[in-house]
Formats: sequence, structure tokens, C-alpha cells
Amino acid sequence: MSRFKSMISLVMFIAILLFISACNMMPSEESTSNSAAEEETDQQELGTLDPENPTSVTFYSYSLSYPTMKPGMEKLISDFNSTVGKEKGVIVEGVPDPSFQQNKADIAAGKQVDIVQHVFSSLDASRLTLGFKAYEDVFPQDELEEHFVGISENALELGKIDGKMYGLAFTFSTPIVFINGDLFEQAGLDPNDPPTTWEEIKEYSLQIKNTTGKDGFGLPPANGWTTDGILFSNGANILSEDRSEAVFATKETFEALSVWKDIYQNGGHAIGTRTDMTEQFMAGELGMYITSTALHSGFINASKAGGWELYGVGLPQFGDQPSVPVNSGSVLAVRPDTPEKNAAVWEFIKYVTGDEGYTTITSEIGYLPLRTGLADDPAYLKDFVDANPLYRINLEQLERIRPATIWPGNHATESTTIFTDAIVKSITTDADVEETMTEAENAINHLLQ
Amino acid sequence: MSKIIETKINPTLSNNIESVKKKRKKVNVKPYVYLLPAVILLGIWMYRPLLTTFQLAFYQWSLVPGTTPVPVGWENFLRLFANKDFGISIYNTIFYTIGLLPFSIVIPILLAVATHNMKGRMKNVYRALFFIPLILAPVSVGAIWRWLFHPSNGLVNITLLDLGIIDQNIAFFSDPIFAKWLILFITGWKMIGFSTIMFSSALTGINRDYYEAVSLDGASRFQTFKDITLPLLSPMIMFMITMSILFSSQWTFAYIDILTSGGPFGTSTNIYYEMYKHGFTNLDVGLSSAAAILFFIVFSLITLGLNQMTKKFAFNDN
Repeated sequence: MSRFKSMISLVMFIAILLFISACNMMPSEESTSNSAAEEETDQQELGTLDPENPTSVTFYSYSLSYPTMKPGMEKLISDFNSTVGKEKGVIVEGVPDPSFQQNKADIAAGKQVDIVQHVFSSLDASRLTLGFKAYEDVFPQDELEEHFVGISENALELGKIDGKMYGLAFTFSTPIVFINGDLFEQAGLDPNDPPTTWEEIKEYSLQIKNTTGKDGFGLPPANGWTTDGILFSNGANILSEDRSEAVFATKETFEALSVWKDIYQNGGHAIGTRTDMTEQFMAGELGMYITSTALHSGFINASKAGGWELYGVGLPQFGDQPSVPVNSGSVLAVRPDTPEKNAAVWEFIKYVTGDEGYTTITSEIGYLPLRTGLADDPAYLKDFVDANPLYRINLEQLERIRPATIWPGNHATESTTIFTDAIVKSITTDADVEETMTEAENAINHLLQ
Repeated sequence: MSKIIETKINPTLSNNIESVKKKRKKVNVKPYVYLLPAVILLGIWMYRPLLTTFQLAFYQWSLVPGTTPVPVGWENFLRLFANKDFGISIYNTIFYTIGLLPFSIVIPILLAVATHNMKGRMKNVYRALFFIPLILAPVSVGAIWRWLFHPSNGLVNITLLDLGIIDQNIAFFSDPIFAKWLILFITGWKMIGFSTIMFSSALTGINRDYYEAVSLDGASRFQTFKDITLPLLSPMIMFMITMSILFSSQWTFAYIDILTSGGPFGTSTNIYYEMYKHGFTNLDVGLSSAAAILFFIVFSLITLGLNQMTKKFAFNDN
């Protein structure tokens, strides 16, 4: 009898398993063949938009999830919706995308994700895995050429992979040293004569610590991108020209990291994560802080509230070699799927990377105008840049800039983790810099092969 | 031959036998029909994902609809073993699992016994106090702990500096040793509430006659605890050990994600967090599934072992 029972349960169990696995075990053949069919049709065509029946477009933006940047980005979106969007028939819905996870999750879940504010380092990986499309494949060539007039050539190169543009540079900034003027004066230093070399950074940070008791300098060991610029400034490279192998374990890297480690461990350096240090600087408890100018608007408000003056200076240099800052910030990556979507997405991109868009991005958020001419145009940003001289530092740095590392393809996130972890270990612990970085380079090259 | 003769002679009897057989068959199918809804739900939510995981472990896929998984054989497992954080995540999983046992067994038993004999309202007040950490959302609790241990403005650093215990701020969650221990402590703090309630309910189930009997025999409070309470709690203790071991990875996950993201340089991560990172941050489902399969096998073995131990050691007062 019991054998009969277990037979029944076994049969039922298998039947149910078969039933549910038949539902949808893997992405079906159908969806694959669909995408293949799509590729054959001409995708560069822009559909017709109807203002009576607007096309809705989603825009995933990490700026929407940071309190310092949110109001500016919201203004950008609502300005578009109430002007060009209304006229042409496009409604853009902003979706906050903290730590760049929301767009991946929603793409994986099959939701509509049209435009993503995407960081540089993982663009190649996303291109391969998330179905982002090259601009040349979805927008007409003449429209692109017309729009790109006025954007600096360097900036247009940033989002290109294998000769095709997978992202149009959007928000853009360089790292600078933010300075708390009051702490400088309390320490007997002149904020108008800021440190320009790493030796001076060390000296000044110790003086601030010894006289005011507050931390003199902060550069988070896991900072996402500034480290690239520090290594470049000392003549090091991170990836080889053809991006096929990591080449950062060199004398120049070890030297640059040892200088930073020395400053980090001498007692005048703030400790903690990037969030911790940002909070500390905004609370007026930190003398100098290297971070993206994107935080400018937040810092201005904090300094006004705390009653101290905000100053700044460019990225420090090693000896007499000029520093080589990297850009932080984002590109706009797109994945429209119909001609109508192409047209709607293109309208939004034209607006936000146009004259009005960059005026808002610079004055309300703090990123650089990639249409650099705007900074001298009285109709747009001249007054603002004159009132906020920190932006001149940023614009000057643009001339020496080098793109931040775009890690290759499918191992981008793993490589970034290995690289960042090795930096953190080198700087914050007693671990040997040379050994740690060489180990990391080998591990990354093992992945890339 | 004889059977046929019997049937011929006594057809009514054979009819009776057949109808009884039919009845039995009907009765046998019924319970399975009742079970069906539950089994289907379990199948959809548990067994199907389980099977899919086994399948995905041998593919490379980014989860994006419209893309096709590429079969890669055992490649994912090889990559997993070569991953620099894999070893440390296993070590930490063991660290968190063992480290949580005092918080899930020892302290809750003492708290439950201490509050058990209280009279009146205070008993409930104390129990509510122990239980509150459990119902607080991990994300908000994480934020509060982060502020408390903030390297420059946190209460803990300020207090320690004022007391002269340290002479420099400590970045607790950026320190490879503190980060791990704090995550253990915070998870434990939450676990205490759950376990205390479980043990309290188990204590209520113990027959009071035993206590009266031993008190007549002049047993001390410690002897009562050791010889009556502990043995009678043993089924619950075994159950809680199992739960604690199985939950430790899940419950530390939230705090690892909020407080350290597995860092500094991967020193506070556990296998659960690695699985999440591979799968949903790196969109590398194959690697994540490979880790999940190892996790599944190891924890199934542990559960089986604990089940055997429960049968052997737990004393049920039936």
C-alpha cells in the first residue's frame, strides 16, 4: 500500500515539475528570433511623434537619487516635459537609479528602460549584456552631426567603443580639492594660496590637524575614479592601449600610492568611506577634500548653513609634472525599440545636451558644460561662472584630461572590484604596496585572457 | 482454477470484494487532490527556481530578456574557485554561523528563564523590549548603526575619545576586523529577540508539576535549571540551532549590504552576499547559480546532520 502511495506522489511531483518547467524555463526561442528580425530592418528611421498622443520614455538617472543633485535633475526633466516634450509629444519619466542597479534590475525584469545615465567604467559590459544601442544605429547621421557641433571632440570620443558611440557624454566633472576656508585660516594658512603638490597637501593637512584638531585632508581610498587620475598624474597607465591587459603594476604606480599612503597614515587624513568623508566635509569638520565638482551645489549650501567659506584648487601634482585629472560623470546610453521611441529619445537627448540643458546641468547641479562656449556666453552661463570661480578650475583641467578607465567587456565589474580592493588594501593597511598591486594585476590579467 | 469456481459459486462475495477495492482507491486519491494547491505553489516558488538554478550554473547569461544563455560547462565553477573573494566568503559564512550561536541559544535561554517567573505587567514589558529589534526594518536599523559608528561624528567615537580609551577616531566599518565583528553583533542583537520569544513559549509548555516535585525534593535553582529546564527545552534548542545556522547567512546579508557592501576589500562578505553580487550587480547569473548550488549542497548536508542529531539528543515530554 505504502509503495502505491509513494508511486502516486512521485508521479504527481514529476507531472507538476514538467508542467511548471514547460511554462518558461529559459527565454524562449521566439524572443531571440524577434531580436534577430529587428536587426534586419532599418533602425535609423525616426518615427512621427504625435503631441495629442505623447510617447512616454523612461530615463534612469543616478543623479535623481542623490540629495545634492536631485533638484537640478528634476528641473531638467520637468523643463523638457513642459516645453519641447509638450510641443512634440514626448513625456519623460525620471527613475532614480541609486548605485546603477535599478536599470539593470528593470532591464532584467523586462520593463521599459529607454535612456540610462550610465557611468564610463562599465559601459562596455552593459553594451554587451544589457542591449544598449549605438547612436549610429538608431539615429540618422545628419541629425547627429548637426547636434554635435559645439561639443568638444574629446568629449565625443569618451563614449565610443570600437568606433561606435554607445554613449553621448552627458554630465561631466573632474576631481578638485575643495577647501574649507575657515579651517585654513584657523591653521594660519591662506585659502587663496592653496596647495598644488602632494608634498604641500601633506604639510598643510598636518598643520590643520595640529592647530585645529580637525582632520586636514580627505581622499576616500574607494573613490570610484579619482585614483585613476592620481596614477596617470605620476605617468602610470592602468590598461594597455588596446585594453587587452592591465599594466598598472609599475614603479610609477607604486610611487604614487606610497605618497598617498604616507599622507593617509600620518594622522592628518580623514578616515572612512566616501559617504563618511562627504558628510564630514559638509559638517565643516574637514580641511581639504578631493571629490567631483558634481558635489559643488551641495557643498555651497552646506558652507552657507555652517557659516564657512568654500574654496578650491585643481588636482595636486607630483613634483613638477602637471596633474592629469580623469573625468567622472556619465554618458547617456539608449535602448529604444521602435522608430517612435527613436524619435522621442532623440528629442530628449537633444534637449538635455543642448544649450538650455547644459545651463541647467551646470548651474543647478554642478557638472561642467560640455559645450564649453556656454561659459563665456552672457545669455547662458557667463554670469554663473563669474560668480563661482571654482568652475574655471574645472574648465582649465579639461585641457589636461584623460578618460577614466573603461574596463573591458564581461569582466568589468570583477576587474573593478579587484583593482579597488587592492588600492584600499595598499592605502589603509600595512600591506606592501608593490606586492598587493602586482597580485591584483595578475588576477585581472588572468580574467582578461 | 479454484478461484474461477469460487466466483462462479458465489458471485455476490466477489462483487463485494471489488467494491471494497474501488472504495479504497478513491480514498487513496483524495488526500493528494487536497495537497495539490500547496504542492503546485511550492513547485512554482521553490522547485522550479531550484531546477532553473541547477541548469543556469552551466550557462553564461546576463538575465536580459531576448538574449540567449551560452552553455559553458563547468567553467562557472572554475571561475568561482578562482575568485579572490570566494575563500574569504566561505570563511566568513562559518564565522557568522558559529558566532551567532551565543546570540541565538545561550543569551536567549538565560533571558527567557529570567523573565519566565516574573509576575504581572513587567514580564511583557521586558519581552517586548527583547522583541523590538526583530520587527525593526534592517535598512533603517542599518542607518542608525552607521550614524552611531560614524568615523568623525559618531556617538561611539566621541564617547570613546572622551573616556580616553582611544586617542584617534576609528572608521569601524572600513576596518577589516571591526567591520566583521560589528555585523555579527548587530545581527546577534536582532536574533536575540526572535530566540527569546521561541524559548519563552517553549518554557510555558513545560509542565509545572516537575518544578513542584523537585522543589519538594529540595533542588536548588541551578539544579532545577540544569536537570529540568534544559532537558525539557532540548527539542527547542535543537530547533533553534538549526534555524540559527540556516538563518545566519540571510540575516547578516542586510547589514553587510547596508553597512560595508562586503568591504573593506571583501573582508566582511559572506557567500550569500557574493551570490547576490554576482547575480544582480554583475549580472552574471551562471557564477551566482554555481555558488548557489554549492551553498545548497553544503547546507542540505548540515540540515540532514542536524535532523539526525535532533532525533538522537532532543528529549520530548509526550
